[in-house]
Order: sequence, then C-alpha cells, then structure tokens
Amino acid sequence: MLPDQAYEALIDAVGQENVSREPVVLDGYAWQPTFNYNPELWMERPSAVVLPGSTEEVRQTILVCNEYGLKFKALSTGWCVTAAPWCEGVVILDLRRMNRILEIDEKNMYVVVEPCAIGAQIQAEVMRYGLNIHMIGAGCISSPLASATSFMGHGWDGIYMSYSPRNVLGVEWVLPSGKVLKLGTPGSGLGWFSGDGPGPSLRGIMRGAIGACGGVGVFTKCALKLFNWPGPPVVEAEGLGLDTKTELPQHFKVYLCFLPDWDSFADSMYEIGEAEIGYIINKNALGLLLSVIFPRLTRKIAKRKAIKETVDVLKNEFEIILAGNSEREISYQVEVLEDIISRNGGFLFDLGDNPLVGIFWWGLVRNYAPPILFRPGGQFMTLFGSDDSFDSQVTAARLGERIKKEWLEKDLIYDDLGDTSWMHIFENGMWGHCEVPFIFDPRNRRQVEAVMPEAIESVMASLEKNLGVGMLAMEPLIRKIASPMQGNYNKWQKEFQRIIDPRGAADSALYTGEAEIDLSTIDPNKLQKMTEIIMKNLWTESGPPR
Amino acid sequence: MTDGGRANADIAGALVSIVGEENVSVEQDILGDHSRCLGPSPVGDPLSVVRPGCPEEIQQIVRLANELEFNIVPASSGAPHLRGGAVPSGEGVILDLSRMKRIMRIDRRNKVAVIEPGVTFGELEEGAAKVGLKVLTPLLPRANKSVLASYLDREPITIPKYHWDMTDPLLCTEIIFGTGEFFRTGAAAGPGTLEEMWKAGLGLKNPMGPSATDIVRLVQGSQGTMGIVTWASVKLEVAPQIRRCYFLKGETFGPLIDFAYRVLRRKMTDEFFMLNAPALASMLAKNNDDIAALAAPQSPFTIVFCLAGYAHLPEKRLAYLEKDIADVAKQCGVEIKREIPGADGMRMIELMDHPCSVPYWKHRAKGAAFDIFFLSTLDKLPQLLAVMTGTVQESGFHAERLGLYVQPIQQGRACHAEFHLYYDPSDEAEARTAGDILATASERLAYAGAFFSRPYFPWVDVAYRRCPDTVWMLKELKRVFDPKNVLNRGKLCFSGVE
Amino acid sequence: MTLADYERDMAGCSRCTCCKWSALSQIKSWRYAKNCPSVTKYNFHAYSGGGRLTAGLSIIKGRSELTEGVADIVYKCQLCGACDTACKIYRDDIDINEVLLEFRADCVERGQLVLEHMLMIDALKKEDNVLGEPKAARDKWAEGLGLKDVNKQRADVLLHAGCRYCYDKDLWPSIRAAVRLILSAGINLGFAGKNESCCGGRAYELGYRGEAEKYADDMLSRVKASGAITLLTCCADGYSHFRYLYPRMGRKLSVDVVHITEYLIRLIQAGRIRFQRKVPLKVTYHDPCHLGRMSEPFIPEWEGDKLLRPSSLKRAGRGGVYEQPRAALRSIPGLELVEMERIREWSWCCGAGGGVYEAYPDFCFWTAMERIDEARSAGAEALVTACPWCVRAFRDALEQAGEAFPIYDMMELVAKSIGIPEEEV
Repeated sequence: MLPDQAYEALIDAVGQENVSREPVVLDGYAWQPTFNYNPELWMERPSAVVLPGSTEEVRQTILVCNEYGLKFKALSTGWCVTAAPWCEGVVILDLRRMNRILEIDEKNMYVVVEPCAIGAQIQAEVMRYGLNIHMIGAGCISSPLASATSFMGHGWDGIYMSYSPRNVLGVEWVLPSGKVLKLGTPGSGLGWFSGDGPGPSLRGIMRGAIGACGGVGVFTKCALKLFNWPGPPVVEAEGLGLDTKTELPQHFKVYLCFLPDWDSFADSMYEIGEAEIGYIINKNALGLLLSVIFPRLTRKIAKRKAIKETVDVLKNEFEIILAGNSEREISYQVEVLEDIISRNGGFLFDLGDNPLVGIFWWGLVRNYAPPILFRPGGQFMTLFGSDDSFDSQVTAARLGERIKKEWLEKDLIYDDLGDTSWMHIFENGMWGHCEVPFIFDPRNRRQVEAVMPEAIESVMASLEKNLGVGMLAMEPLIRKIASPMQGNYNKWQKEFQRIIDPRGAADSALYTGEAEIDLSTIDPNKLQKMTEIIMKNLWTESGPPR
Repeated sequence: MTDGGRANADIAGALVSIVGEENVSVEQDILGDHSRCLGPSPVGDPLSVVRPGCPEEIQQIVRLANELEFNIVPASSGAPHLRGGAVPSGEGVILDLSRMKRIMRIDRRNKVAVIEPGVTFGELEEGAAKVGLKVLTPLLPRANKSVLASYLDREPITIPKYHWDMTDPLLCTEIIFGTGEFFRTGAAAGPGTLEEMWKAGLGLKNPMGPSATDIVRLVQGSQGTMGIVTWASVKLEVAPQIRRCYFLKGETFGPLIDFAYRVLRRKMTDEFFMLNAPALASMLAKNNDDIAALAAPQSPFTIVFCLAGYAHLPEKRLAYLEKDIADVAKQCGVEIKREIPGADGMRMIELMDHPCSVPYWKHRAKGAAFDIFFLSTLDKLPQLLAVMTGTVQESGFHAERLGLYVQPIQQGRACHAEFHLYYDPSDEAEARTAGDILATASERLAYAGAFFSRPYFPWVDVAYRRCPDTVWMLKELKRVFDPKNVLNRGKLCFSGVE
Repeated sequence: MTLADYERDMAGCSRCTCCKWSALSQIKSWRYAKNCPSVTKYNFHAYSGGGRLTAGLSIIKGRSELTEGVADIVYKCQLCGACDTACKIYRDDIDINEVLLEFRADCVERGQLVLEHMLMIDALKKEDNVLGEPKAARDKWAEGLGLKDVNKQRADVLLHAGCRYCYDKDLWPSIRAAVRLILSAGINLGFAGKNESCCGGRAYELGYRGEAEKYADDMLSRVKASGAITLLTCCADGYSHFRYLYPRMGRKLSVDVVHITEYLIRLIQAGRIRFQRKVPLKVTYHDPCHLGRMSEPFIPEWEGDKLLRPSSLKRAGRGGVYEQPRAALRSIPGLELVEMERIREWSWCCGAGGGVYEAYPDFCFWTAMERIDEARSAGAEALVTACPWCVRAFRDALEQAGEAFPIYDMMELVAKSIGIPEEEV
C-alpha cells in the first residue's frame, strides 16, 4: 500500500486527477497476458499509477519515487508483459497524456514525438508530406518511441525503413535519478537531427539489440527517421480488418512469391536485397495466415496429412510490395523481381486486381493486422529472433519447425499446420529476422504452463547454433544464462545502472535482473545438453572462448 | 636517470616482454611521427611506440598500463596524422596497431568483411574487389588510413544511401576496455567462437547489442578513450556492374540543396557529395600548380554524384535512374552535366575509387590545410557558410583558400560539412591566422547550428561546453571502462577524469 | 448471465489496446485517432474497454472490492460500443459490450449506485420516462397532427416517439416533420399517446434489470394490442433497444422494427415522397451509436468456447444502420455531405449515452465538443444526426461552451426539402 505521504507527493507532482491507488485501477496495469511466461498472467499490482503530462511531471514523479523508496516503471501503449511491474512497490507512469507529434521536419525526414503517439497516428500525419515511418511487427497500435528506445524494433518494412533502434535521432531521457539527459543534438540545443555525440554516442547505454524495457528511466521525446512514401497522402480504404478493400495506387505492386525450398528462398531474399528493390517484404507463416482467416476451419483440417503437406510445400512464401517513384522505376523493379523468382525456380502471384490486395497492401503498409494473431487461440508468443545474416535466420526457422512440431504433438499449442516463421530483411538485406509464433489459449492452464518450457527449449536450440537468445533476452532467467556466455554484459549494464539510478528507483528486472530457472520443468536429457552448451561457451578472465 | 626516465624504461622493458624487442620503439624519429599532427593540436610527448600483434598482447599491454599507470594512445593509421587523436596529451605510449592487418574474412554472400585495425582502405578494397564487393570509404582517404580508425571516428562515407545509421559501416566489434577486459558487440557476442559462428552461418551483420547495450556506440567516436577495438566486421556493398558519374553546378546553394533533398530521399544515387570550387580544384589537381587553373572555371558549388546498376539488369537500372533524376533536376531548375572543367565522370570515379595520391588532396593548394568539420542539416548550410565566410573575411585570409566539402549522411537527414583553410606552412603568420580562424569559427559555428559530433582541437571545448549533462555522463562512463584513465588521457571531455 | 459468466471473455483480453483506438486501418490523422471517450478523458487504463474487462476479472477473482471507485469506472462510459467494435476487428471470443452491461447490473445488485441514475429510475417509476416529465403530457408534441391513437384505432405502423422526442420541445419540429411526412405518404400511422412509456432501455443500460424488463413487457403488450405490423421509431436508442436489448432480455418483438431513416428510404424508393426544395448546406453526418454499431440485432450468447464461435454469430457492429441516413441526405437537393474521419462502425460518440448525460454532464459535453471539432475540421457547415439524444447533447455542449455550430436532426432537413412550413411542425 502506498504511504499517504508518498501519495500526496505524487498528487503534488501531477495533480489529483492523474494519480490513482484504487486497486481495480492498479490491476489494469498488473494484468499482462502477452509474452508472460508466468502462468498466473497477473504481474505485481503497482502501488500507484500516475499520468504525467510533461517531462517535468515525469521528473517530479521519479523524484518522489527516489524520496520514498519506491520503484517506478513507465509504459506507453502497454501491450506486453514488459510494461508491467516486475516487483512490489512500483509506481506506474502511464504516459498516455504525452502523446503529441511535436515536429515533422519534411526536408530532413524526421518526426519528433512523445511516447504515446502511436504508429498509425504518426504515419497518417507524415504521409501528407510524402513520408512514412517504420512500423514494428507489433503493428501500428504500438508506440514508435517505445520501440525505438526501449524494446525491439523489427518489422516487414525494414528492407526500406530499417529497424527501430537504428532510426533514433535526438532523444530526451529522464534518468531514474531524476536527471534529464538529452542525447545528441538536443543536448547541445541544436535541434533533433542527431542522437550521437559529441564524441561517444550515449545511445550506447540507452539500449542495444533490445531495450531496457523501462529499466533505465523514461524516454519523454525522441526524433525518429522518416522515409520516402511514394503513395497517396491519404489512403482511402473500406473495411476494418481482413475485409479491407482499397485500390492499389499508381507505382505500387504486390506479389506473393513462392519458392521451392529454403535454399532458393534464402537466395531470393539475398538477391532482392542486393538489387535494392522492395518497400516491404515479409515471409508469412502460411498456416498461420490460414489460421487467422479461417481459425475454426483450420482446427478442423489441421490434422489432415494432405493439408499439412500442402502447406509444407508452400511454406517458402513471402509477400513483397514494390514501390516506385515513377513508372520507369516500378517497371524496373517488377522486371528484376520476376527475374529473381524465376531463376530461383519459384513463381509469383500478382495481387494487383485481386480483392486480397487491400489486406496485403494497406494491411502491410499501415500494419493494422497484427492483433489478429489473437484470433485463433486468444494468445500467442514468439520465439527466436536473434537477428543476423538471413542464412542464420533460415537456421532458426528450421529449428522452430522442429520444436513446434514437438509441442504440437503434445497438443499444447494451437495447430497452425506447423508452419513456423515470420521473416524479414533489413536495410536492403543487411541482416534478417526470424520469429516463430506459438499460438495458445491463455485460459487453458496446460497450454499456459507450457509457455516457459517452450521458450527455454527455443533458447537452448538457438544457443547451440550460436544464435544468441533473441527475443527472450530481457527475461531475468535467460539473462542469468546468457550474460556469462556473452561477455558478461550484465556486469556492464549494472555499472550503467549504478550511474543513472543510484537509489535503485527503476523497476529494472528486465534490464539487469537475474533469476534462476526452475530446472524441474526441463527434461533431464535436455538439461544435460543445456549444461554442456553453457559450460562450453562461458567467458573467462582472459576473454571469450577461442 | 630521473625517476621519470626510470619509469619509462620500466614500461618499455615490460612492453618488450609482451611484444618482443622488435615491436617496441623508442627512437626519436619514430616518436616524432607521433608527437604532432598536421592540425592545430598541441604537441605531445610519446614515450615509446609498441606494436602488438594480437588481441591478447593488447590485453596484456592494457593491464600493464593499469599496473604502471601509463597512458596508452591507440593509433592504427600511418603518419602523418591529421587531427591529433593519435597524438598524446602530454606523455603516452603509442599503441600502434598497424601490425594487425589481417583481413580475417570476406563473406561475399553476406557482404561483410572482418578486419583488424591495421587494414587500410587500399588493402581491403583489393580483397573486396576480388569477390565483387566494394568498400564504403570516406572521400579520398590517405593510402595508409586504417579502415577501422576511420569508421571508429565516424568519418562520413561518400554513399549516403548506405549510411543508414551513425555506426555504419561499422558492425560488430571485439573490444578491450581500459580495464583490460574483453567484450564483443552485436551478433559477435555469440555465444561461441568466431569460427563456430561463421560455421553456423552468421555473418556478424547485426551491429546491435548484446542485450540492452550498444557498447560499440560508446567506443565509436571516443578517440580510443573507452576501449581498443581488436577486430571488427564492416559492411561491404556490391560493386556496381555499371556506374556513371555526373555533376551539377550551381552559383548558389539553393537549387543544389533542393536537388539534394529530392534525390537523397529517394535513395537514387550511389556517391553523392558537394564541393566548392577551391575544394573541387584541390581534389582534381595533381599538385598546387594546377589548382588556380582548375578552380577558376568551376562554379561556386558542384554536386558530384554517381548512378549505378548492380547484378540485375544494370543497364536498365541506370537508364531509368538517368531519366528520373533528369526529371528531378528539371523540377529544381538545374542541369546535370557529364563533365566539368578538368574532369569528366570517368576521372572522378577513378579518384573516388582509390586512396588519395600524395600530396594529400587538402594539402595540394598551399602545402597544408586546417579543417573544421561538424554535422548539420542541408538547409542550414547557407547560414553556416555565411558565418565561416564572414570569419575568414574578417581575418583577411584569402577567400579563395576556403574549401568546402559537404557530405550528406544518414540518407540525407543530415550532412557532414567541413571547411578547409589552405595555408602555406612555411608562412608562420598565415598558419597562425588560419589557426585563429579555426578557433573563432568554432565558437561562432557552434552557435549557428553546427554540431561538433567529432570533437577535436580547437572546437572540443565549445562542443562540450554546450552539453554539460552529456559531459557528466561521459565522465561517469569513462570511469567505468577506464577507471585508471590509461586510454588516451586528456582527450574529449576527459581531462581531469581520475 | 452474470459478470462471472463472462470470465473467459475477460481473461481473454490480451491488453493490445485496440479498444482505445479508431479502426487502425481508418486512422487518417493524429487528432481523430481515438475511439473511446472514456479513456480519452480519464486516461487510466481501467477506463477503457479492455481495462474494464480486467477490472471485472479483478472483481470476480476477489482481487478487488466493488467500491465507489469501481462504480466511477463502470459508469463513466457511454456504452457506445466503440471498444467492442474495435476489439472484434480482431477477436471472436470477447464481447466487451456484454461485460459492460453485466458490470452495471452487478453494481446495482450490490448497491454501488449513482445518485443521478437513481433519480432517473425514480422518475421512470413515477412518470414512465427517465426525464421526470409528467406522463400526462407525453402526447403534447403531437397536438394537431391528426395521429391515430392506437388505443382507439388500428394502425399499420405504430410510432414509438421515445422519451426525448416526447418531452424535448426543441426537438418537436423534427418528430412532427417526420409524422407529417409519413402521413402525407398515405401511411396508416398511429401512436400510443399518453399511454406510450419509456422503452426501458436506459434502465437496462444503467443496470436496473427489473425496471427494464417491466417496461419491455409493457411495450410488448402495447405493440401486440395495437395490431400494428411495423414498429417505427425516431429514437435511435429505442431502435437499438428493441433490436438488441429486448431479445437479450428474452422479449423479442414480433413486429418489423424500423428507424425513421430506414423508413424514409423505403418511402423514397417507393416513390411516395420526393425531396423538392434545395437545402444549400454542407453537412456532415454523425452516426449515432445506437443507430449504428449498437443497433445490430441481438445474437444469442454462444454456448461454450467462443474461440469456436463463427464470425457470423458475433455482433461486430457491421449490421448497424449506416447507409440509409447517408442515402437520405444525398437525396436532398443542394445538400453536400462531407464525411468526418470517424464514421460508421468506428464513429465517435456524442457523449450522451449510458446515463452519462445525466450523471456526468461535463464528460458528456466534452465528448460532444470533440465531435463538433471533428465536424468543423471536415469542413462542414453543420452537423446532422438521427438521434434525439445526440442532438440534445451537441446543442447543450455548444451552449455550455458558448459556441455556435448548427446541429440538425435529420428530419429537420427533410422537412426543409419536402417543403413543410416551419409553423406546421
């Protein structure tokens, strides 16, 4: 229970109407079923929730937390367990009121935003200027600032629009001590166009492959890169979800491409990257696609061998959107794509006049479809996600295929025909991403309890192939395993934490927390293998294994 | 022998025990190369030059420095040094990494090389070309310029479309911190050995991480004050099958900047940069005799850009780009040329594709040059140029010896701009005037929108004066990575960090 | 059903927050991207559709008590259905609307009452309307129209005027115009006069199930006694309640329930009325929640695992009345219809519903002014709607804000175009 004095101090910081300690309000921040490996799905109930409306109110709230020995955690849209309190005594800063688009610099192609401007809002505004913003895989309902500063950042437009953390320019950051730090140009009063320097870039302690998920303070403003948008300033579409209908604008093409096997699939991805064509590219899990469109039919047919075999044959599929600034450019891109797919033994399906073009074009550009993943089972998690060369992502996809099959046989996940992965490439194929979705019913205790063992198994398989821990890197119990194999990075993170958070005010479980895995949940044979992998890869005082 | 002398001898002896006698130098002529640079930075006092051959030797040297509390100044490129980063502030042992010049791997499929710090642009280009790749280079690097030194200093590359983020083209690194501890960044964090990772199909392409840190960003731009990079993976790109160079001449900035914004937004070009007439002439000239004749007929400003075609339908790519970019030029009211006085496209490509011949291009006009560089946005260039021009005029320095090179970075979202002051090094008064201009202009430019993201003398003070919170954080981080302050003491904002 | 019966719905919330936003595929600006007045105004997650699911789960799991604070969350909501529609773009297994209704019933049953709502229910009990106006005056609006009294004469079409039209003099011209129009088309139209009562829908929404059922029974017997084959209403609330709440209470009407905008189109299509006079006005149309997404007919509760429920058996707002009002407006010569960004299923509420107008007028007016701002932004000279509660909320909000912006009930514009003199209505 929050002490009255602290409560009063929070009211002084943000105003009466913006503080609550009503249990039911607090529980709104404790319920976090997505990516929650705890079968209870409820996280710790926070001690209070505040709604700061400005950087100064964020700062004042944090100072109160420091003064009264409270922890704090900020969230923007709050979709995912990372937004929840991971320990007792946490004051949640729900940043909903900080939702503005502060500046659109058309020429220099960036936008300055607050935490709760969502992707759809920003995209709608910047498209008027012929610009677009990178949308993350979680969809346009997410906060681009949160993705860029604090979480992950992959999405299917990465081929053209990169990856959230690489799209950050200037940043305003309230440290857990209450100090305000501005990275790059805003720190020198020179606008927002750079986030690095002078000298070393403090973006290096802001985040890495993943973010600190609120463990390093609150990011209150940041500038994000924008990219060319050769489409219309306002897209008129009918329908709301899978029924979306829209006309494909001039100089756009949408294709489904099917390749005969993983090798030709990977070769095509590499070639597309090198040819520098494509605006959006995404390998969809075909079975999953069927599952979200026909969830009940898929349940009925999933056990049929012929169906599975068909999906297996077609699984090396990707969707690609080509966008040109001129007729000449789009013609060139089409010709190159046709050449690549044909030479790799595949075929492509032009969605131009097909009614599906609405969902495959606008659906991928606006990226409003991701919550549809909840449709077949009610919940899902994704595994793998250690990004690097596309070949290594194919390795991950194959591992995912194996693991998924195992859990399907145990009937602990929704049968999406065993199709596995979402994959995309970034920055013209500089690196790739693979994510393997597992669908389950959050109300089915057996399925929920299987989530953690599934996750650990994927991590071990990934580590065995030198792929890192991927999307689970923020998990305290994964950190405990991974850090000693990866240069003891957590030692350095703890050093940074000591500087920015001398009183330990931030809820930093997802930044530096370490926890023990319950070994009883792991098959003894797998446990033996896991121990061998860890021991083999440990760093020593003289450095990495050589 | 004085105490100091004895201590230096102890250090040299200990260094010999690590790297062997042949890799430690205390001769004055060798030390002299490291005592000064061609810029205005103060003279340093190198104690010795040590040339490690592998990461383990570097680790031992760093541990020794912690034990004996001496200053290590990493240097990878050959002399002469230009900006003072590799010159000690006071005393220091030069950690010369030029022996470590292995190209550990070139991976055609993933377009990546893994290299040690001593690898120069020329060497890497040769290796890359063999497999159809090209190296992303700054404009006319010196022949002995280390690739990693350049990338670690965030020197801009000439192809803006490949500069997605400020770390580019640097990817994964192995670092030894000032504590003597190893670290690996990005996908190289593993787990596993390099060989295992490569065998598993990794390319070491993902530059982020591990986990929630991007320590490479702290080491990059640190002028060797945070850690020493022992190897790194660097991004290569496909060598075009066909490439043509074009010019766009302008009497004023306006139309050229308009053109630049439109073209860069669409990622149309390969190389793209802008020079003023004196800088362009310096680039084209073989020596100072040519300069005046080359500069006179040039327009005040010239954009140089290339269009290219790659593996797939290269001619068609070039053809559509030529037509599209002509449309853009028309909209901007400018005309694209295939040649300028003194050079056609082929000549320019030849220049861009090779390290700079001697004398270094900025020195061709008068034998020496000071430069001042910063980041800004293209739309702020006119006002920054006005500040610089005004400062030069006030000082009575020759206006025709003010060079300008503008390199769009981050796909056009910002630009690196550098002013050159070409001066005669034998004329002390002129050299002094040029130095004074640099100091005055630093202050003025900083308040007119210039962001000194790479802080060298003499603008390092104003760069850090403007961001006290950044300075606080950097000093704290310096204490973490280099608690005994053994790495390149006194640089950046770290004077007085103990 | 009780709140606890919806545990699976509540426990299914993934907290994606789609319930807080307009249809994501339709967002066209930063300004008009949100769909839920409640969470937009009060900000805490609990004030959203998903937040209320979690609140309900917290209550039934015994994690939280049903306090005054909980009631504040439950009742500061217009029950506009935007969250439910947004959720169902993606989900088949969650019915937020149902949970919200059960939550209110639970509050009433367990004594967490709102004073203003109690006054409404008292008024209902006394005068058969939630406005507290005398029952004896219920038919005054119809004076001089020559409407048949179905208590005395048979009519094919029974008009249910609804409480707001009956007692809000400001709105009488609209309903009188509607009646004139229908009569002029030769339709055998009647009404129940003083014997008309509240439909009871508002009582249901406030959580007073017993009262609602009583008035539904009353309505059912009145309709039956009238012998009418069509129940026509100008009240969007009533329309929604007849189509959705009545069957939900097990009291399905056996007649054709039609809203005036639908009826208008029928008459136009049958050639029985024609718009002749020009109405040179640029208007935007506000979709009333109860005529739009909330008017979708009731579908019986799915038995068992809702993951297995076919999409066709979920109410997702698609079956609302959206096109007919627009078609009617487009039929008016000289009138230009411009659309706001939030329309149809993803429309923003006027603010009046769910007892908010009565209990939290500031919240209601804030919500209404948000909509008026959107109408202005669309370039409209006036806002037109087809619900008396919406009209009232907009006009009151403007008055309170000291601002002017023309708000029309659709029938007012129809009257202008048909040429019915103002003095006659």
